[in-house]
Amino acid sequence: MNNGMQRLVAAINGTASDRIPVFCNLLDQGARELGLSLEEYYSSGERVAEAQLKMRAKYGHDNVWSLFYVGKEAELLGCNKIFYAKDGPPNVGGFVIRSHDDVHRLVVPKDITAHPAFAESAKCLRILKSEVGGKYPICAYITATMALPAILMGMDQWMELLFLGPIEVRNELLAKCHDFFVQELLAYRNAGADVLVYSNPFGSTDIVPMKYFMEHSLPWIEKDIAAVGTAGVVYYCGMARFNPVIATVLQRTGLGVYYLSPFDDIREGKKIIAGRGLTCGVINDIKLIDWSEAEVTHEVKTMIEAGLPGGKFLFGTGVMPYAIPETNIRTMLEAAYRFGRLE
Amino acid sequence: MNIKQLSREFNEAIYDTDRDRALRLIHDAVANGVTPEEVVFDVVIPAIEQTVKLVGTGAELNLAQHFMTSQISSEVTEEMVRRFKKAPEILGHIVIGTARGDLHTLGKRIVIGCLQAHMVESTDLGVNVPPERFVDEAVAHHAQVIGISAMMVHTARGEEGCLKVRQILHERGLEDRIKIIVGGAPYRFDRQLYQTVQADAWAEDAISAGKTIVELIRGAKP
Repeated sequence: MNNGMQRLVAAINGTASDRIPVFCNLLDQGARELGLSLEEYYSSGERVAEAQLKMRAKYGHDNVWSLFYVGKEAELLGCNKIFYAKDGPPNVGGFVIRSHDDVHRLVVPKDITAHPAFAESAKCLRILKSEVGGKYPICAYITATMALPAILMGMDQWMELLFLGPIEVRNELLAKCHDFFVQELLAYRNAGADVLVYSNPFGSTDIVPMKYFMEHSLPWIEKDIAAVGTAGVVYYCGMARFNPVIATVLQRTGLGVYYLSPFDDIREGKKIIAGRGLTCGVINDIKLIDWSEAEVTHEVKTMIEAGLPGGKFLFGTGVMPYAIPETNIRTMLEAAYRFGRLE
Repeated sequence: MNIKQLSREFNEAIYDTDRDRALRLIHDAVANGVTPEEVVFDVVIPAIEQTVKLVGTGAELNLAQHFMTSQISSEVTEEMVRRFKKAPEILGHIVIGTARGDLHTLGKRIVIGCLQAHMVESTDLGVNVPPERFVDEAVAHHAQVIGISAMMVHTARGEEGCLKVRQILHERGLEDRIKIIVGGAPYRFDRQLYQTVQADAWAEDAISAGKTIVELIRGAKP
């Protein structure tokens, strides 16, 4: 039997393995696993690492996460108000940028690894690396330059600045976000993260028109990837579809892993990638809350039947909602192991 | 340029997310004799309706175009209504906000922008709105519709969201007079979710919401 890293490497290279890699992105569930509130849970890197390891051992999936919640990035850039829920992900509770002057005032830390907000993530990564490093892929989440302003000022204010200007303020913010992005990705990679999820809704034509993607999004994607290299980087658009841009991104950046939207056609995605990279089929995990076990199994089977031919396929989830019953998590994973068997 | 040409070019400007071109077209048309009423009813509203029609047809249509349609429509309508010969008849009123625990504002903003052209007044309740406040404000503003936006699963399904608003409307005997519409990402990933949370309707996107809200207003008892 292979371990998660062997399965992932085999899928990327198209070599033999016992089954396809199965990524299950359990984050908030860690608090339940340890019997803690989300606020208590996320205050400690040791707890997050402990829960990640426990959940991986319990369910048998192939990855662990160093991500706490997306708002962590805003904390590294000055946000000091996080809004905790009892049954869902923490949110940015106060925006760092409220005016154009705030853009001028925004300072990217010289070394984010020395920032107190990074300390717990670093602890978590240290533990994960020592416990499962090299055996199970350690994932990190990094928001792309073009998407980062949304968590610093809110999506609507960012869209206003992006599309209506002033252009010089927009460009100044993007330049600062790019500096942060490069530092953050390298910090996670240096700390032992193997899989670097490059999250960019603006890399999807569900969010911007193709013309805008080509003229604005793509140059920033190229700049981001040129600065950090392609190793371990996964193209992901925050659950938005991106089949129409895969060929361009592949050709212009050399990125080799594509984490599709649940609404992307897996067969089409694989056809576009055409063996040049790893296709990740992603289940609509919001439906996992209410689906029956038979429906879960059927969906997993359908997805794997679409993705398996020709190899180089990974089965994955989005950020699994807290409300998904444990039985459905198990049912989904057991179906993925069964239908994804390669021997 | 006749109205048909103006309408076509205005639509193109919106699709290209080109606000400056859209505004220039309108201003030139008004300078050349097109009335403010024609601009709103024959150009802006058809542009929104055209956007709605394209949703689900496989045509490329995206969040940026929705945002710009709303921004430009709202800006043009506000300017033109001030120049109407007589004040337009208001169709109805909606109070709108994000569910308790939810701080995402984009969807709500797009909805409000489009409603202006539909002659629907809106009261923006902001973010993280308690369920009681949705109902109290709806009553205070004589609103026919409560709009609840939620971008996260737990705020869409939570006990302090739409479910609680429904319970309060029921307890206060307001269900015939006030209808609930919900929207946001979780509803797109689970198209039956609006029923689970006991809303009267949902909208696939913020642009389509305008049409559904108008229908709900017409269906609500006075």
